[in-house]
Amino acid sequence: MQRRYRTIPDLKINESARAIAFDDSELACKLTSMGLLPGTRIEMIRKSPFGSAYYVKADGVRLALREEEAASILLEV
Amino acid sequence: MADGSPSLKIALIGNPNSGKSTVFNQMTGLRQRTGNFPGVTVEVKEGTLRFPNGNEATLFDFPGTYSLYPTSTDEKVVASVLANPSDPYFPDAMVYVADVTNLEKHLLLFTQLLDLNIPLLLALNMSDSASELGIKVNASKLSESFGVPVIPISGRTGHNTMRLILELEKMVNRVPSTVVRVPFYPLTDSEKQVSEAIRQNLGVVNPYRALLLAHHVAWLHFLTQPEKETASAIISTKKFQSLRAQVDETLERYDRFIPISQAAVVSPPAFPNTPTDRIDAVLTHRLGGPLIFFAVMMLVFQAIFDWSVYPMDWIESGFGALSVFLTAQLPAAWYTELLTEGILAGLGGILVFVPQIAILFLLISILEEVGYMSRVVFMFDKTMRRFGMNGRSMVSLISGSACAVPAIMSSRTIGNWQERLITVMVTPFISCSARIPVYLVLIGLAVPAVKLGGVLSLQSLVFGAMYALGVLAAFASGWAMKRWLHRREHSFLAIELPVYRIPHWRNVILNVWEKVRAFIVGAGKIILVVSIALWGLSRFGPGDSIEQADQLAQTEAQQLNMDSIESEGLVQQRRLEASWAGQAGKVIEPVIRPLGYDWKIGIALLTSFAAREVFTGTLAVLYNMGGAEADINDRSENAAKATLRERMKNEKFSDTGKPVYTLATALSLLVFYALAMQCFSTLAVVSRETGSWKWAALQFTFMSLAAYLGAWAVYVVFS
Repeated sequence: MQRRYRTIPDLKINESARAIAFDDSELACKLTSMGLLPGTRIEMIRKSPFGSAYYVKADGVRLALREEEAASILLEV
Repeated sequence: MADGSPSLKIALIGNPNSGKSTVFNQMTGLRQRTGNFPGVTVEVKEGTLRFPNGNEATLFDFPGTYSLYPTSTDEKVVASVLANPSDPYFPDAMVYVADVTNLEKHLLLFTQLLDLNIPLLLALNMSDSASELGIKVNASKLSESFGVPVIPISGRTGHNTMRLILELEKMVNRVPSTVVRVPFYPLTDSEKQVSEAIRQNLGVVNPYRALLLAHHVAWLHFLTQPEKETASAIISTKKFQSLRAQVDETLERYDRFIPISQAAVVSPPAFPNTPTDRIDAVLTHRLGGPLIFFAVMMLVFQAIFDWSVYPMDWIESGFGALSVFLTAQLPAAWYTELLTEGILAGLGGILVFVPQIAILFLLISILEEVGYMSRVVFMFDKTMRRFGMNGRSMVSLISGSACAVPAIMSSRTIGNWQERLITVMVTPFISCSARIPVYLVLIGLAVPAVKLGGVLSLQSLVFGAMYALGVLAAFASGWAMKRWLHRREHSFLAIELPVYRIPHWRNVILNVWEKVRAFIVGAGKIILVVSIALWGLSRFGPGDSIEQADQLAQTEAQQLNMDSIESEGLVQQRRLEASWAGQAGKVIEPVIRPLGYDWKIGIALLTSFAAREVFTGTLAVLYNMGGAEADINDRSENAAKATLRERMKNEKFSDTGKPVYTLATALSLLVFYALAMQCFSTLAVVSRETGSWKWAALQFTFMSLAAYLGAWAVYVVFS
């Protein structure tokens, strides 16, 4: 079954979407333990000054994620 | 662990940003100290907790972690201690500190701890903020659902600290002391098989702990080789997929505790735009963010420079006066000199940097407490990664401008070993406080006191350039090391950005005290030993060379009709030249000549290995400053510096008759000091943090090479 996903880099500023699954199991472990789970609402706040990290809110908790970390979180379309 | 500490052990565990440290401070007050977990170079804070009934317990503040599936050295500590009931830090009871305003994010680790069947108490921290936000908390409902005592507290106001301690007291006095609970997370069939097998073969009682051993067999140090092999065999036979299982377990736990949390904690709808969001819009702005950061750093360094002058001068004069007093009171023998010139001078040399270090760490600590540092990590992570480091390395590099020793220790929060190693290796390039006296003397000597365009002081510019050189060298080395090492371990940023808050002053002060202590005790011990050793090498010489030098000097002084102070100075000078250190200086002269140095500078280079600022004191002796050596490092003693400058200007090479201190030589010396590794304390800390001497040795080698080549290049260019 082909599911279509978006990732955080696809979101516009202040746009939010729900997390569905993770692409990288090691990262999944780290992120889930920080409270970023399937079902969590993720809002993209801004990109870092040098462009490769994201400031997001995951159900209200503010997190900074690298581009590859952000890209591994599969969001609903 | 300290000997004589109470045998009852209580662990304080929680997420980073749970306010755990504040609670720790509330519970122990000043009765705390820092130590090291054995086998891992992570610090543990321990303190004495006094119960109302008079008994005492030792309270350990474990590093903050999100789960028992750790991703950095810090986080591994909790998992490794709790996996091993024989560990010296294994607790008799635990207090879990959770931020009640974000409870759901804090319960994962809590439910994992529940399953370990150790007496556990849940402290709902930040209950003061919760009431302000209109969040209603039903502690008894949580207590019923989880089966443990639950107490709302506030680390900030101290609310319910006493109740927490009382509840803890009841818990530890309960008989029987073991707890058996219904597991919060029921193991899956495949997990049960693995857990059972581990329990039988390794003699583990708790099923969840057995599962943890299976997950972490690769790095748990306490397991013996046969145990590791048995466990690994079980894992492969049962086809246990550790990562997969970890994620599934985490998700299952969330599914189970979120309903509990939602039933007991009711929050009003959150305002979308809080003060933190508004502040971050400015501080992490794409353009403004970094600019603001550099402005803040400039202010911090300016403050350190301006504020530390007074206490530094007091300490200098204090030690100077003490030295004079002792010299007068005690008989003129070698042990008096050992006391005044070896020990006292060494001690003074250590303590004089305390004001600078304290102020720097005060300001850094405030920035951390407020929550700004995580934003810095966010903004600079990509840049730091280009040079082989992590956003978190920024904190170490900034701290390195005070002293590399605590700066290197603060790299422990970096999860990836390679990033941490590179941070540790390059931090000493950052110009630390000890280099400042050297810079000042040499710049004063060689750089004219002019103002470019009538505004910008040339001397300040060169001073700034030396700092810039250090920063450049650090990043260049990072880049080179990154290319050279090829480890492909997983590296994380994934950092939480906490809500901005007013710093809790007690935390800040205690944090500063910890760092200053680390410097005094860690760096201090070594500096003192090396100071004394170098004093010995400068005071004694082969055979009777010292006595001969004495006689020659006195004859010379008489012939030149010197007064008593001057002739005493001449005696000191000749003695130094004849001593072991002096001989060594002459021996290395051919090697340092290409850099523009003579053997006297050679002596000063060697003595600076005790502490970099000894350079100026040594020069003062070598150029016979009379009694003014003691004033040379005093920042306000411009007269002494002027005298030294005059003497230095008159120094000539014995074979060519040309002046020694040309612009080229001075600049070359500046570059040498900026880049050279002349700090045994740093080398000691590096070898401790990296687990072997080889990295410290490598660091010494490449920094010495960089210093030599850099100084040589500058000398050639400017001469």
